[in-house]
Amino acid sequence: MDSSLVMTGLVNVLSLTNIACILGGTLLGMFVGAMPGLSATMALALLLPLTFSFDPATGLSMLASLYVGASYGGSIAAILLRTPGTPSAAATVLDGFPMSQQGKAGQALGISLFASFFGGLMSGIALLTAAPLLGTLVLEFGPVELFAIAVLGITIIGSLAQGSVVSGLLSGGLGLLVSTVGMDLTTGTPRMTFGQINLFSGIDFTVALIGLFSVPQALALIENSHRSNKVASRITDRLVPRLAIIKRLMPNILRSSGIGIIVGLIPGTGGDTASWFAYNEAKRFAKDKSRFGNGEIAGVAAPEAANNAVVGGALIPTIALGIPGSSSTAILLGALMVQGILPGPNLLTDYGDVTYTLIWAVILANVALLIVGLAFTKMSVSVTRIPDGFVACAILTLCIIGAFAINNSLFDVGLMLGFGLFGYWLSKAGVSPAPMVIGLILGPVMETSFQQSMLIGNDSFGVFLQSPIASVLLVLALLSILQATPVFRWLRQPFKRRLKHG
Amino acid sequence: MHAKTLRRWLSIAAAAFAISPLVQAADYTASDEITVLQGFKPGGGSDTLAQLVQPRLSEILGVDFVNEYMPGATGAVAWTRLAKQSPNDGSVVSITNTPMLMTNYIMNDAISYTTDELTPIANVVTDPGIVVVNADSPYQTIEDLFDAARQNPGTVTIGNSGVGGDDFFTTILLEQATGLSFKKVPFQGDGPSATAAMGGKIDASFNNVGNVYGQVQSGNLRALAVFAEERLDSLPDVPTLKEKGIDVVAGSSRGYSAPAGIPDEARQQLIEAFQTLAQDPDFQAEAKKRAMNLDIVTGDDYRAMFERMESQYRQVWDEVKDDVAQ
Repeated sequence: MDSSLVMTGLVNVLSLTNIACILGGTLLGMFVGAMPGLSATMALALLLPLTFSFDPATGLSMLASLYVGASYGGSIAAILLRTPGTPSAAATVLDGFPMSQQGKAGQALGISLFASFFGGLMSGIALLTAAPLLGTLVLEFGPVELFAIAVLGITIIGSLAQGSVVSGLLSGGLGLLVSTVGMDLTTGTPRMTFGQINLFSGIDFTVALIGLFSVPQALALIENSHRSNKVASRITDRLVPRLAIIKRLMPNILRSSGIGIIVGLIPGTGGDTASWFAYNEAKRFAKDKSRFGNGEIAGVAAPEAANNAVVGGALIPTIALGIPGSSSTAILLGALMVQGILPGPNLLTDYGDVTYTLIWAVILANVALLIVGLAFTKMSVSVTRIPDGFVACAILTLCIIGAFAINNSLFDVGLMLGFGLFGYWLSKAGVSPAPMVIGLILGPVMETSFQQSMLIGNDSFGVFLQSPIASVLLVLALLSILQATPVFRWLRQPFKRRLKHG
Repeated sequence: MHAKTLRRWLSIAAAAFAISPLVQAADYTASDEITVLQGFKPGGGSDTLAQLVQPRLSEILGVDFVNEYMPGATGAVAWTRLAKQSPNDGSVVSITNTPMLMTNYIMNDAISYTTDELTPIANVVTDPGIVVVNADSPYQTIEDLFDAARQNPGTVTIGNSGVGGDDFFTTILLEQATGLSFKKVPFQGDGPSATAAMGGKIDASFNNVGNVYGQVQSGNLRALAVFAEERLDSLPDVPTLKEKGIDVVAGSSRGYSAPAGIPDEARQQLIEAFQTLAQDPDFQAEAKKRAMNLDIVTGDDYRAMFERMESQYRQVWDEVKDDVAQ
């Protein structure tokens, strides 16, 4: 690391204009993130042409801060309205919304904000200090390893199945099934598309997500709007979490940030996957697992730390090797190309001044996130003072706009409403949509990488055992499955009995 | 909030930023706004082309360009809209990617548009195909790769950007020309295919020059051959397959097309605008900076390019479709 380049980058960012742009970008990002259907990637792509006329440092600062802001913004609607603003915030719903129902929306948002800040900061530091080292790791992850990650991810379904295991597996299985809609990767054959070309690229995961989470919530609000005991609307609790709480959550936040960085740097997996992994690990390490799903603060901190850590993580291969770690970083790479920089491994050396500017912008954007976030969040909490009936209408309107905005397609709006009704029925039947979401996220990754692995490995399953990374991950997956079955209990029983007799 | 309005507003604002106040008189007669249907997500290769081309076109023609993104079915959603449901008065065009434009409907009966329902305006860029391997790969030359395929038919793994993409068909064209057989591994785009080659997960990646140029220059990837008519200025040491006596020239091209039957005057004005653009040194410099290989082919010549590709790829697909969709 050339320290003069690092300093040049810092000096580039620290101008009044750039700081203003970072604050503005963060605010814009939060807004985009909070709206279901509007994603960071979309906003980045639309903002990109505007930044052409800016100074490189200013443009990059604005884009980076937008990306950071959007990663946090998704949690606002997730906590307040049970409507994840971005796919990465879906896991935040599980504990964030129950907290909100218990009248602790402010606390939940505060924890989400601080966890996001720490996650983002950690990944920024990793980016600044260890990018070349971590970047080379990326090349180790081919289709075989990606398949193993997907399998490990699928096992989360088991631990998420609250109450009935059968209904959890059913929900997860449905998610996997729905994810197979669309063209087969290796043959190009359209599957379950019924000749409808809008289905050829598969069902957009965000469309399903909006329908499954937001529509049932809107309908439930309407159903219950006549009841008077509205806890969530009387919010006076503090936004800034107490030091003791932050201290207690720190191990969780550190672990989740680590997960976010690693998942972020692997191309093909992003914030949506990282947040579920982090949630699952937080639950695994927790002493009292029963509180998860009922408003446990660790269940808010984990996914939020992870999805913001993904930002820095995804930038690591981008700047170390010129390989974008996510679709958002692919657009940031485009922003660099406009400055006459061709993507490649020399971003940190030959073009260090511009690259380090980007890295510092990411770090400073996290500081801006904390400041702007407090103000923005305080404002957004007032949503809960609005009568339920109006909120429900607003949610439905946002769902429709959001579903349309993804591909500018009315077909997707219909699809979203279909998922919405299905989600409503699921919630009445007591089936959680969370496992289905995991199936939808990981299904395509798993299928694609499996087919690629089989091609590479000459149709032999041995290919998964030849890769040390894949082998370890698959063993972890097996243990994770066994953990959900009584096998371990049976194995322990003889020892317990001996203890009793002895 | 209003995503579409926001988007429109942003793209108009973007155009406004790019055009100087001195928009000249040579006004486009058909419409004062041209909608560009984009078949892929914002930020992709088509969008990059739009950002390079449209501000300049808008200066030449005196119209605003409004991008409308409708991704899906590898562009087929937007192209179906262009061919079947758009007014043919010159107010709507689309960025047409070849050979994807044809292979879409050659491979899938459910995709119903054809190039006969379009008015080809101009091709703008062609990114030639290239064979790249990992820097540590035992294959030093394209002959090494072919020898390996000859000794163990069907085991040398070649990455491509997806079934139906240009690299997939290039691999088949090469197989037909040489009699060799490779194991084709599809990825979701050129980027992942190049990354897999870089990590040594596959033996080689058939890619496009623009996507891998930086990695080749820095030595992470080694280029074995290009599928171009002649050697490229940017990679003078990399042989063409034509030199090796294998007549395979392929790449991925992007241009602009309108629906069939637009007014002659509008067609002529659009074509002339692209011809003016081709001569613009500032445009050429900007394209070079972004590693875009200009290949401006207008009007009837672009139509001929469509027809040539259509018959070539239809023939290829007829021969291999039963093997692919086993």
